[in-house]
Amino acid sequence: MSSSTSKAIDPSSVELWDHSHHHHDVLSTRTFGFWLYMLSDAMIFALLFAAWGVLSYSHSFAGGPIPADFVKPGYAFLQTLALFGSVLAYGFTMVALKNGNKAGVISGLWGALILGAAFLALDINDVVHLLDAGITPQRSGGLSAFFILTQTHALHILFGLLWMLVMLVQVSRFGFTTEVVGRMLTLRLFWHFQAVIWVFVFVFVYLRGMLI
Amino acid sequence: MDMWRKKLAHWVRYLALAPVLLLNGCSTSHFWLFDPKGPMANADLYYMVIDVAVMLTIVGITTLMIIWFLWRYRKSRGKGTYDPKWSHSNAIEVVVWGIPIIAVAFLSYYAIEGTYALNPYDPTVIKEHTVAGDDPLEVDVITTDWRWLFIYPKYHIASVNELVVPAHTPVYFRLTSSSVVNDFFIPQLVGMIDVMPGMRTKSALLANHVGEYQGFSADYSGAGFSWMQFRTKVVSAEQFQQWTQQIQASPRQLSYAAFNEFAKPYIDVSGKPEYFSGVQDGLFDHVLGEVMNGKVWPLPMAMTENMVDYMKEQNARTSTRTSN
Amino acid sequence: MLVDLQGPWSPLLGRLALSQIPYENHILAPLFVVVVILGLAIIAAISYFGKWGYLWREWLTTVDHKKIGIMYILIGLVMLFRGFMDALMIRTQQAMAVGPDAPGYLGALHGYLAPYHFGQIYSAHGVIMILLAATPLLVGIMNVIVPLQIGARDMAYPYLNALGLWVTAAAAALVMVSLFVGDFSHNGWFGIAPIFELSYSPGVGVDYWMWVMQLTALGSTLGSINILATVVKMRAPGMTWLRLPIFTWAAVASNIIALTSFPALTVALALIGFDRYLGTHFFTAGLGGNLMLYTNLFWIWGHPEVYFVILPAFGMISEIIPTFSEKPLFGYVTMVLATFGIAGASWAVWLHHFFTMGAGPAVNSFFSVATMLVGIPTGVKVFNWAFTMYRGRLRFETAMLWAVGAVFLLLLGGLTGMMLAIPAINYMVHNSVFVIAHFHQMLLVIVYAIFGAVTYWWPKVFGFKLNEAWGKAVFWLFTAGSVLVFVPMFTLGFMGMTRRLDYVFNTQWQPLLDIQVLGIAVYSLSVLAFVGMLYVSIRDHAKNQVSVDAWGTARSLEWMTPSPVPFYNFAVVPHINARDEWAWRKEHGFTDLRPDHYEDIHMPKNTGIPLILGALMFLLGFGLTWRIWWLCALSLALIIALVIIRSFDSDTGYTIPADEVERMERGHHERARAVDLPAAGVLGGAIAYGQADPAVKGQGAALGGGMTSPEGSRV
Ligand code: HEA
Ligand code: HEA
Ligand code: CUA
Ligand SMILES: [Cu+2]
Repeated sequence: MSSSTSKAIDPSSVELWDHSHHHHDVLSTRTFGFWLYMLSDAMIFALLFAAWGVLSYSHSFAGGPIPADFVKPGYAFLQTLALFGSVLAYGFTMVALKNGNKAGVISGLWGALILGAAFLALDINDVVHLLDAGITPQRSGGLSAFFILTQTHALHILFGLLWMLVMLVQVSRFGFTTEVVGRMLTLRLFWHFQAVIWVFVFVFVYLRGMLI
Repeated sequence: MDMWRKKLAHWVRYLALAPVLLLNGCSTSHFWLFDPKGPMANADLYYMVIDVAVMLTIVGITTLMIIWFLWRYRKSRGKGTYDPKWSHSNAIEVVVWGIPIIAVAFLSYYAIEGTYALNPYDPTVIKEHTVAGDDPLEVDVITTDWRWLFIYPKYHIASVNELVVPAHTPVYFRLTSSSVVNDFFIPQLVGMIDVMPGMRTKSALLANHVGEYQGFSADYSGAGFSWMQFRTKVVSAEQFQQWTQQIQASPRQLSYAAFNEFAKPYIDVSGKPEYFSGVQDGLFDHVLGEVMNGKVWPLPMAMTENMVDYMKEQNARTSTRTSN
Repeated sequence: MLVDLQGPWSPLLGRLALSQIPYENHILAPLFVVVVILGLAIIAAISYFGKWGYLWREWLTTVDHKKIGIMYILIGLVMLFRGFMDALMIRTQQAMAVGPDAPGYLGALHGYLAPYHFGQIYSAHGVIMILLAATPLLVGIMNVIVPLQIGARDMAYPYLNALGLWVTAAAAALVMVSLFVGDFSHNGWFGIAPIFELSYSPGVGVDYWMWVMQLTALGSTLGSINILATVVKMRAPGMTWLRLPIFTWAAVASNIIALTSFPALTVALALIGFDRYLGTHFFTAGLGGNLMLYTNLFWIWGHPEVYFVILPAFGMISEIIPTFSEKPLFGYVTMVLATFGIAGASWAVWLHHFFTMGAGPAVNSFFSVATMLVGIPTGVKVFNWAFTMYRGRLRFETAMLWAVGAVFLLLLGGLTGMMLAIPAINYMVHNSVFVIAHFHQMLLVIVYAIFGAVTYWWPKVFGFKLNEAWGKAVFWLFTAGSVLVFVPMFTLGFMGMTRRLDYVFNTQWQPLLDIQVLGIAVYSLSVLAFVGMLYVSIRDHAKNQVSVDAWGTARSLEWMTPSPVPFYNFAVVPHINARDEWAWRKEHGFTDLRPDHYEDIHMPKNTGIPLILGALMFLLGFGLTWRIWWLCALSLALIIALVIIRSFDSDTGYTIPADEVERMERGHHERARAVDLPAAGVLGGAIAYGQADPAVKGQGAALGGGMTSPEGSRV
């Protein structure tokens, strides 16, 4: 197929310049880019899960503690509740945002923040207890993978919380400008994404861990 | 099948590789890869010849075609007709997809066949040559930083930097490393296999011709890597028996404790062979187990610096070691 | 601290001590002095001419995709030169260190480079060439050209674009610093488990390598997000997917690979970091670690990476060949399919880099066949280029020479790649210089394409052509150098020579090693010719001014903008009517590039934050390498703070009113008319298919004079 034909074309009938006043949609461009970022972040988690898969055979624990000894799915379920509560609170925030309800957005954000912080506190508490019991990432390859995978997720949560703090300030200071709304939307994506990752962590580390 | 394979190999080898040989203007003997001395290396060459023949045909014709186009359609004085709109042809599309697809299918067949034939864990080319009742030789290989230790478990002997094997006898290797990854390679006898710490790989060879062949590590392993060579002596069966008896009389013994000393980083510039008798039973598995449990022979920082100074220091240290 | 280090550590300087600066090294110390003097001279010159303000305003804080692209290319060229110096040392060392009788100098037993030093050189060479020369050069060219080809005013995220640049610059700076402060890694560009573990690499070299690679991974990920979003979201109206210029398609495919594969590198490196900094056991041989995990993770990135760099090069070849064949690309649709075929297959072949690891025959067979499948779409590309030239009218200008040279290299590299892909053959040549020769053919395809692309698009960016005679001299010298270095290397591969030997044990290899040294000498001449070409071209630039369509027969949208391109690219965004829009317009006589009226343009504002972030990333990398914890904490805190502060800045753009745009555009016309330029190109074979139409010709001539601004792009 050749790219063009040499049929004479009436110059008045062709459109050579764009006068449609189209402005590209800032919000959708921003969101699209964020999806791309999440794709690469998802790859990071996928590979960490792969590493955990490779390093969670019983010999990977080098005769030291194995997950069945120390994972507490009940406790992790509490964390799940906290995180999903936080996501739910963020959902209310988005509803309030749609209604232009500033007070609603702020209280929703506080809710999400506090529940997220609760998740993190539970996680830190768990880690501290494990370390105290001599269950450290230095003990074996399996434990290295366990800690790095779970704590990489926790680090993402930490950044999410920091971001929420920033949004609290920005919403109260600027109100609902395009930029602020854009950030609220991407933060929602991020937060849901972290919740999804947590589901995988819960299943493949805490539940499956009981069987290793 | 086998006859045909041999004939083809001989035929095409020289044809396909003639241009390369001309570059150096001499026989194949400098070209280790074209001068195999056993069925493993021979089969490697056979598959290379097939692959090169197919690919060279396609690539050669393509090259000539492009050169012809360049000549014929040059703007200055080219004879070709200029057709400024021509940019598609179904017939050509079919050909340009079709030829590579057929060629890849053809090559895939040989690729898979060759992978099984030369599977280092169980090479069928060696099995083909093994006569029933033949007693294969087993050798355990351990690499350290930076020496080769060849253990002959059946004879309770070991040699350093020297591999001695009888001709016409299959040799089966188990390999592991006490430190980092190396690659076991004797170009004229057998292709590469990784030698990894905390793991065991396998390889096998069969040598048809008595002689001496170069073996070396093909995977970078640190400061002493370039000197990490070993001589491969292929000897007759009787000579091999003599050799084992000779080594069995050697005064140096190799227990795990002695190995622990031996495995310390050492740049073996001289490549001098050493021999041990009374090798501890199961030394190979013991080393493997220790490494899996976290045993390392770490590198002193000094080895990362000026080499001449280090060699002086090392020589001083090792001369006291061997004298006591 | 969690891990035991050999050597001293202090809270203030970490592992850094004065003794880490190799002042007694006979190669580095003089080099260091030279670099310092050069640096001071540059700083003095900038101050003397009072250019700091200009530099800051126009370059360091810019968010203009073209300037960012140019800076990427500059970094790439400098690093290409550095990589070449490394190659020079590799080649001379190997030729000097043959056989046990070879003399030794400067603390080496043979030759003049001790093993660790030699290891650092080829490792740095590999890292630099692939990640800091080829990649920035390609990214730079994509940065300049892709928005122009799709009719966009800028990238989707101009700020992120600048950030990507400065992160890459930080990586380049870190690798250069490793030359003078401490050591670089010695275990190859891909890292070898478990040599990079602290027990076998007690120094800081591996840390340098790790953080350099980590920074480039970050930069590339940012860049790929940007290019993908730009192509998806910023295309001019009418630019449907099947009208995308082929180079843009290549950029899309390549950046999809980058976006999805770089995370594997990030993870692989991060896990090494945990092993080295926290004492974990991901890749140790013992205590449950698995060193093969590293090899897999690395090549899951490493193999797609080589296609990430080759696809844009293919795209460049696909732009250059039609222009100089005066004919559309043959088989556009199959070309796109082939591009994505290569990109897709690149995911399933990584294991061919370690066939010798002892995986079962089924696994090796699978990866062997998968690898060979890549040959099919690549072959289609080669044939499509060939048939583009068929029935063409070929002009062998310098850019075309590079493109055609690249095709021949690709054939040789492909032939040898297909040999490596068969395990039975691979067992004999893995880790040999045959592999080195294979991949240098392939990587030279990229270098050739880059040189071609720089020659080809140079007039678009700077408004004048590079000198043809000098350009051809560079081409032939470079080609002679490549032949002399790499043909003997293939031969040595058949003789059994393996890679990374700092001491060559077989004296029979000496003659071929000597020929390679000759090759390196010829290469050096090509570098001189390159500098000569730049000098002569810039000196004579007034004589070589060009109009919009510098080559006269180009086809895509970027050739519709003035050369050099104004900072807003298109005063009015064009409406796209055809694939090869510019060729279509030339054919139908729509070559008047003045729209009937102008509108306001919204442009992003300059910002210094990306530069500062880049500097902080450098400090973070440096601090981590030397374990200067306070510096790490400080720079990390500042990075986070800056990102937050920037998010409070809502005033990131400005508007140029329509009449201002019109005034600037008229300015272009008037100034250019005053210069009285020859209407380069347009008079020549400009009419798309050579059907000369006097009316259109006249119009083109007026236009050619009208659109060129001899001064900088900013008014
Ligand atoms: C894109 C990647 C790339 C490129 C272009 C090159 C280019 C070259 N390389 Fe490299 N090389 C690698 C990537 C690359 N290499 C990698 C990945 C390795 C493996 C490392 C490892 O083992 O870990 C390697 C290893 C490697 C070795 C192997 C050592 C060994 O293991 O035994 C050798 C040996 O000769 C070598 C040589 C060369 C030579 C002679 C060139 C020449 O082609 C160079 C030609 C370049 C020039 C002539 C410079 C031109 C410069 C300009 C025109 C700019 C001038 C600008 C200014 C003055 C500002 N390379
Ligand atoms: C831009 C870079 C680039 C490209 C494009 C390629 C392309 C290919 N590479 Fe290469 N390769 C590298 C860069 C590249 N490689 C690097 C850097 C390394 C080593 C890294 C290191 O160890 O340091 C390497 C190593 C490497 C290995 C591992 C070697 C080893 O360590 O043992 C293998 C093995 O399969 C391989 C194969 C191939 C194949 C089959 C292709 C194919 O894509 C080639 C396809 C092209 C053609 C086939 C020619 C054109 C086609 C036709 C004319 C049609 C007819 C074709 C057929 C019938 C198939 N490469
Ligand atoms: Cu690969 Cu063990
Ligand atoms: Cu590959």
